[in-house]
Amino acid sequence: MSPYGRSAINISVRVWSSMACVFVCLAVLVVRLWYLQIEQGAFFRDKSENNRLRTLYIPAARGLILDRNGEVLVRNRPSFNVELVAEDSPDPKQTVQDLALLVGEDPALLQERLTKIGKRRRFEPKLLLRDVSRDVVAQISAQRHRLPGVTISVVPARDYPYGESSAHVLGYIREVSGEQLKSQAFSGYMLGDLVGQYGIESDLERYLRGERGTQEVVVNAFGNKIGEAFRSPDQPGSNVTLTIDRRSQMAADEALQGHKGAVVLMDLSNGDILALASSPRYHPGVFTSELAKGVWAALIDPKENRLSNRALQGVFPPGSVFKIFVAAAALSEGVVTPKEKIRCPGYLKFGKRSFKCHKHSGHGPVNLFEAIVQSCDVYFYTVGQRLGVDRIHHYAADLFGFGEKTGLVDDDEKEGTIPSTAWKEAYFKNPEDKKWYPGETLPVSIGQGAVATTPIQVAHSLAAVLNGGRLVKPRLVKKIVAGDGRVLESAPDQAQVQRTADIDPAILAQLKDAMVGVVEDKRGTGHRAALPKEFGIGVGGKTGTAQVASRESGIKDEDHAWFAGFAPADQPRVVVVALVENGGHGGVVAAPIARKVLAAYFRVPDEIEAAPKPKQRPAKSPKPVVAPATVAAQGRATGEG
Amino acid sequence: MSVFDRRMAAHIDWLLMLITLVICAAGLLVLYSAGYDPETGVDLFGFASVDFASAACLKQALYVVAGLMVMAIAMSIPTQFFFRSASLLYVGSLLLLVAVAAFGVVVNGSRRWLDVGVFNLQPAEFMKFALIVAMARRLARKPPEDGKAYRLGELFVPMIIIAVPMGLIMQQPDLGTALSLGLVGVAQILFVGVRPKALITVLSVLAVLAYPSWLMLHDYQQRRILVLLNPESDPQGSGYHITQSKIAVGSGELFGKGFQEGTQSQLEFLPEHTTDFVFSVLAEEWGFVGSVSIIVLFFFLLSCMLRVAGRARDLFSSLVALGITAQFFAHIVINIGMVIGLMPVVGIPLPLVSYGGSAMLSLMFGLGVLQGVSMRRQMFGER
Repeated sequence: MSPYGRSAINISVRVWSSMACVFVCLAVLVVRLWYLQIEQGAFFRDKSENNRLRTLYIPAARGLILDRNGEVLVRNRPSFNVELVAEDSPDPKQTVQDLALLVGEDPALLQERLTKIGKRRRFEPKLLLRDVSRDVVAQISAQRHRLPGVTISVVPARDYPYGESSAHVLGYIREVSGEQLKSQAFSGYMLGDLVGQYGIESDLERYLRGERGTQEVVVNAFGNKIGEAFRSPDQPGSNVTLTIDRRSQMAADEALQGHKGAVVLMDLSNGDILALASSPRYHPGVFTSELAKGVWAALIDPKENRLSNRALQGVFPPGSVFKIFVAAAALSEGVVTPKEKIRCPGYLKFGKRSFKCHKHSGHGPVNLFEAIVQSCDVYFYTVGQRLGVDRIHHYAADLFGFGEKTGLVDDDEKEGTIPSTAWKEAYFKNPEDKKWYPGETLPVSIGQGAVATTPIQVAHSLAAVLNGGRLVKPRLVKKIVAGDGRVLESAPDQAQVQRTADIDPAILAQLKDAMVGVVEDKRGTGHRAALPKEFGIGVGGKTGTAQVASRESGIKDEDHAWFAGFAPADQPRVVVVALVENGGHGGVVAAPIARKVLAAYFRVPDEIEAAPKPKQRPAKSPKPVVAPATVAAQGRATGEG
Repeated sequence: MSVFDRRMAAHIDWLLMLITLVICAAGLLVLYSAGYDPETGVDLFGFASVDFASAACLKQALYVVAGLMVMAIAMSIPTQFFFRSASLLYVGSLLLLVAVAAFGVVVNGSRRWLDVGVFNLQPAEFMKFALIVAMARRLARKPPEDGKAYRLGELFVPMIIIAVPMGLIMQQPDLGTALSLGLVGVAQILFVGVRPKALITVLSVLAVLAYPSWLMLHDYQQRRILVLLNPESDPQGSGYHITQSKIAVGSGELFGKGFQEGTQSQLEFLPEHTTDFVFSVLAEEWGFVGSVSIIVLFFFLLSCMLRVAGRARDLFSSLVALGITAQFFAHIVINIGMVIGLMPVVGIPLPLVSYGGSAMLSLMFGLGVLQGVSMRRQMFGER
């Protein structure tokens, strides 16, 4: 027997069974390959394409916002974002730490932002810092080797050449919120997108945003770009031309500086809003970068209420401005004639109560014209009593549009209140409170009590008085032009008339004359609204000084100052409304603001002293608009109730 | 007596030789594509620099040539020489493995190499061959007592012969090599024959031992096995290899993406695409047709090798040939199985195709020994 082993065993059977075993095992591999490559082949082909192709997004430049004359109010500038490709950094946490120290940011905050972004596709850059300064870019570039994975991208950012001016009209853009992303309306948006959140930026978001472009690039496993595959160009947003007149707007903004208040300037022929100012303001650009805690606190401080557009959302009693509409009701209803004189002793006895006129010494006998010019309260108490609250409500609300939204913007507008017996019935729960007492009609007839309105409503309604009773829908957008020059929307030349108050034109003419008197008559309360005489632009209007009810505090706040006016006096083109919250007397505080805005609109100096050549002017106009002595004399008379 | 005579040359298995060369050639083609990098020249081991587009392909070609020389040398060694030196080879390799455990160099967390000055030596590679001859010698000298199949008691010593080196390699840790080592030894025992009762007993014991050995596995090995069961559980970590490899293989579909068109490998989504995952490149670029073709070639290769085992002059030669065949088979099945997601990622190269010098040389040496068995099948009385 061989030492190497005799083949007592049958080798050939064993070879054949081994071969069978090999065959079976390899057959299993073939079956598996068939499953992967044939059965699931298309699926894996897709997956390999997904691996290979990466979609890069090209942000679209947002549309510009222009004023009516084509001046750019909001534009775009290149801005620098700092991003991190975590896969390119051996230790992303350390990199973020180094970056934070370099640019002086809180490392914890950046870390948190990174975690908030969460897991995205491999090699997708994560946004760490938005809109950093060139200095920071230079610092990062210089330290590039210490910051692996940190990249800087250039994207368009909003730029506001006039700063805070018209902030409330323009609104602002801010990163799309988590809730917005969940909603259907924001289906095309991605985390980190900047979205119009307020004002025109929000209302016209769909026009302004444009369409982001995409680019498919071929990448290797390290995310390095190898080539380009498919590209769809970005579509810049459409440009929006507003009805705003930049100069009037800035004049309004400047005039309101230091006040809380609002200004509305409207073209009464077509409803174009020429200026819509609210104060205090905010800078629209602060929202695009992460808000520091203090900044946000200042923005939402309820005392300031900076984010609220007072022209649309500020609800205040209109005070004597309301008398125009009460007068319209009284004349139309025939409860008083223009000539009838009502004696004002400085108060009106009603039951046990005495309702005071703002001029405690009394105006004496006054007719309608004099009552409006001197803003006599007793005259309107009397007339209001004759009318009753429901007739006042009918004219003010049903005919002149008080107490309802003007329709300037989709929402964000307050309605205010015009009281009536039905309103009181519905408003109060307690049966005792539901009854309307005749004594309550008196304050209503001078725009006090429960009467509450917004500056835009006052402009809207006053325009109807000057427009033959036609209530014109105010508008902010003149034109929307797409990136390729196509006009998408264009406001018609004609006004959109919401309804027409059926009032005798003669009555409206009398009211207009009286309002011109308010500014031009020597006893008028609104003379500070007058433009310098030599430019020949007369101004009409009505002052209002609304008492602030301070039931709870007991502290007497300053009155709200109103001026609602128009110009030119003979052929009115624009209405102007100025409101200063707790400003004091309308004629003293609000009327000069209105004058400044009108001067800017008509491109004239608003005061003769400010005229370019004051030395030459006296020859043409020997007297200044208001002699100092007259100011003193009338200053006392301008106080109103 | 000359080492080579005409009768021996007449029995060289030329079909096996041809299939070996065809597989090597296919491997070179795949490597040309997988290692394609026209921008850098090929540095030939510091001796020369050549302008060739694929370093892996060119170097592998040189390894094939060197491998054929090693094969010729192995063919010239009489099979009986291995019978006589089997114990020496086995004990020597075992000592080297112990030395590794004691003084080995740690690379990537495993202690597999011995630093012998010029290069790093991997004793496990020697043990692969040493175990084949040691087992063949043991089984040839102690065939089943009944002349048909082993009883349980007779299996004890062979099991120890397998288990000791397996255990040493397992703790390095090198799961793939240990596994293939065990498979080869077991294949040799099964080739001779085991009584069903003994087989069932052994399998039961192994099943009972499976849990403690699972606990002995390193974390990364446990994870690899767990990830195999559910690769999507860890798409960026351990599962990345499997996921990307499956995408590569599957996306090849019927005819493949074409030579050098495989995005998974060319864009480097596929890890280790010239070595362990070379089959994915082949499957991606050549499709189902190509991958099945190479499997068919492997089937022919293994069949030829088994035929050599069947025609061998004696049981020892037969078992040596069978062991070498089993080693090829284990590597093929484990590698392809791993690439297509049927087996854990254990780092076993695909024989004759994966890029690598020492693997090529040791495989060619094995084929040479096998050809030697074939050549000497009718030589009797040789001492």
